[in-house]
Amino acid sequence: MAERGQPFRQARGGVTRRNLPSSRSSFFTKSATRYQPPQNRNLNIRRNAQHMDSSFNSPNGNDRDNSDNRSWIKDAADVIDEENNLPSLVGTCPFMCPVEERLQRERLRDLATFERLDGNPGKSSSNLAVKKFCRTISTSELQVSDVRPLSVLEGTLNHLFNLFHSSEHPFEVVHDFIFDRTRSIRQDLSMQNISNNRAITMYERMVKFHIISHQKLHRSSSSPNVSSLLYLNLEQLTKSLMTLFNLYEANRISHSIYDNEPEFCSFYVLLQIHPDSKGEPLSLWFCNLPSAIMKSKQMCFARNLLRYFRLGNYKRFMLMMKSEASYLQCCIVEPYINEVRALAVSCLNQAGYKLQPFPLADLSNLLLLQESDVESFCNECGLETSSDEVGKRILAPKQSSFFHPRKGFQKYYPIHSDGLQRVSINLLDL
Amino acid sequence: MAGAYMMSMGEAHRRILEYLNRFSDAVSTQDGKSLSRLLSISSDSHHLLSLADALNTFQDANRLIRQSEEYSQYADILLPIFRALQSYRLRNLVESYQAFEKASNAFIQEFRNWDSAWALEALYVLAYEIRVLAEKADIELASNGKTPEKLKGAGSLLMKVFSTLAGKGPKRVGALYVTCQLFKTYFKLGTVHLCRSVIRSIETARIFDFEEFPVRDKVTYMYYTGRLEVYNENFPAADHKLSYALSHCDARKEANIRMILKYLIPVKLSIGILPHAQLLENYNLNEYSNIVLALKRGDLRLLRHALQEHEDRFLRSGVYLVLEKLELQVYQRLLKKIHIIQKQKDPNKAHQIKLEIIVKAMKWLEMDMDVDEVECIMSILIYKNLVKGYFAHKSKVVVLSKQDPFPKLNGKPVSS
Repeated sequence: MAERGQPFRQARGGVTRRNLPSSRSSFFTKSATRYQPPQNRNLNIRRNAQHMDSSFNSPNGNDRDNSDNRSWIKDAADVIDEENNLPSLVGTCPFMCPVEERLQRERLRDLATFERLDGNPGKSSSNLAVKKFCRTISTSELQVSDVRPLSVLEGTLNHLFNLFHSSEHPFEVVHDFIFDRTRSIRQDLSMQNISNNRAITMYERMVKFHIISHQKLHRSSSSPNVSSLLYLNLEQLTKSLMTLFNLYEANRISHSIYDNEPEFCSFYVLLQIHPDSKGEPLSLWFCNLPSAIMKSKQMCFARNLLRYFRLGNYKRFMLMMKSEASYLQCCIVEPYINEVRALAVSCLNQAGYKLQPFPLADLSNLLLLQESDVESFCNECGLETSSDEVGKRILAPKQSSFFHPRKGFQKYYPIHSDGLQRVSINLLDL
Repeated sequence: MAGAYMMSMGEAHRRILEYLNRFSDAVSTQDGKSLSRLLSISSDSHHLLSLADALNTFQDANRLIRQSEEYSQYADILLPIFRALQSYRLRNLVESYQAFEKASNAFIQEFRNWDSAWALEALYVLAYEIRVLAEKADIELASNGKTPEKLKGAGSLLMKVFSTLAGKGPKRVGALYVTCQLFKTYFKLGTVHLCRSVIRSIETARIFDFEEFPVRDKVTYMYYTGRLEVYNENFPAADHKLSYALSHCDARKEANIRMILKYLIPVKLSIGILPHAQLLENYNLNEYSNIVLALKRGDLRLLRHALQEHEDRFLRSGVYLVLEKLELQVYQRLLKKIHIIQKQKDPNKAHQIKLEIIVKAMKWLEMDMDVDEVECIMSILIYKNLVKGYFAHKSKVVVLSKQDPFPKLNGKPVSS
């Protein structure tokens, strides 16, 4: 129960929020209405966590799973967000959002769409409100009753991912909410130094979320702020992935590997196709990977794809994408596939014989584009398409007007392939 | 107490005093070499081992140190050194490192006050021991199921040592040695991105003149910075640095030469320079033999086979991705051979190569490639200037330029 008259304190160091498109509703206000738990509270909401668990479908009843708690490897702490100087503790908050915070945000009408009870911007409930990510938390202000224990976090994650497939709202809205709230979940996990198998499962799910968002945000490239959302999403994708790797390492028994580890390692390799990819050089990362992972099916796929990319073998690259990529692997690579297409078109244009043009039908197969898309793609690269004497659409090489669109392509060109359409229909559960 | 023989108290007392005398003499006569010998704990020298036994027997070195002003002024260094030695002897490596850390901090304080660079050699030994003892401590931690974190602390301590040398005086020539200890530490930890800040200090700070540093340190420095360039695939820079290391390395230090070559060879291959088979033989680098052969023959199957055969080794040293990229040069060589064969049959038509022929050649090499992929490879070779010419899509023919159809790399990597 919040005490009225408690002075509200601004987060130390100020708050930086990214600029949001004005078309959105005002649930993310620009003013720094950051929730700060007030000090010296006499609240006592230690409840029996078991009692709360039933509504959250947690696998084990006991949220005090201290058996596997061990301190992070130092690198993990470095990779997690700015809030890594906090001592290890065990949270006791039984709700997805601490009561104080919910009441405060109700008062300030700072509720996201998904948190509103019957659409009321000033009213939420314990089943809807989810704790927000808070960038600055000082040790002295931290209360265990604001931190959610493991089983509550698992339940929260379930709740969030149930929202993910909600089609009523534009994807960016859904993404933004889940992006922020999962970040808060990760914060709670790291504050409590939870690094067991259950944490691994949670991180795997969150990484998948970022990967699917990666593709979906690229697809909705119409919105003006998408590039900053993309950048931030990629940043959190990479951070979560690195933390996941540290978790695998920390929990490793002798030389065994986790079931999903090869797949997630392959994601990291595929991310290197991105021109702006940061992080340590891949050669260095490979040094320490267990041999079993390097030789796994998923890693071999990723390594081969990367090899074709680096060599410029666009034919094999496209072929592999069409025939071997999993849905998630596709999500990662699809945004960069235009690089490969542009390279292919550039090579064909430069090395081709002027009097023997390329039928667009052939290019359509090669570049995994619909024929109509081939036309617009070539046009965006400054190349003209024409018709031959029987009216078939062609691309004549040796045009000097080719250029690589610096700011990216205007249109979104998905991977056109029957096989892939089938895969994406079985949208996997997060 | 492994191997300690039973010493009499008198004998123990004598040995400890002997060390204390040596220490204070070394400092008062500014004898850096002697001082350095007193600090090399991990060297397992007979003298230090028996001192450790003496300390473990006598158990009250503190009293001896406090006895005389000559020794007590260095108590902050001597007491932790003794503890480090004792723990080392008893195989408590974590405690040994922790004590040595304390001794190092105290030593650094004293070192700052000493004017000339007389004690540099001792500081070198100190830096070396910091790293080596931390490595041993981490092994102990890991074997006990704990998180190894001493080497990371050693990195911070070495940075501190580095900063005492980053000044205008004569001590600055020692900075490169400490830099190399830092490199070794960061490479071991895998945190090579931390090398960046110390590299920046060495290369941009005006107080440092690279030519002033001892050759041995310059070689080590170029070796590690060259390796970093290999990781980042900056081949011209990697070539420059590793070649420097090679040409300035003492010819008798064969193990070091081998280490340099291990990284230089992939770099040279990437810029089109092949090593002699004898070189590989002499320095036991036969994992590269088949790769060189594949490049000479244009044999793609052999390249892939060689990469597979030594995959673990190449991955561990971090050159696998570099070697993978040699494929394009192998294609170039294969095409050149086909061209030569055609020239012998019919010189006038030799510059036109049917894609079907290339498909056949690939099949003969057990490589499964269709004509579309061959066309793709041809176009990329032309695009990257490994082949001069063009290809005709409908006729499925590649037409080579009559002049210099296969340009050499000339010391530059394949354009990307």
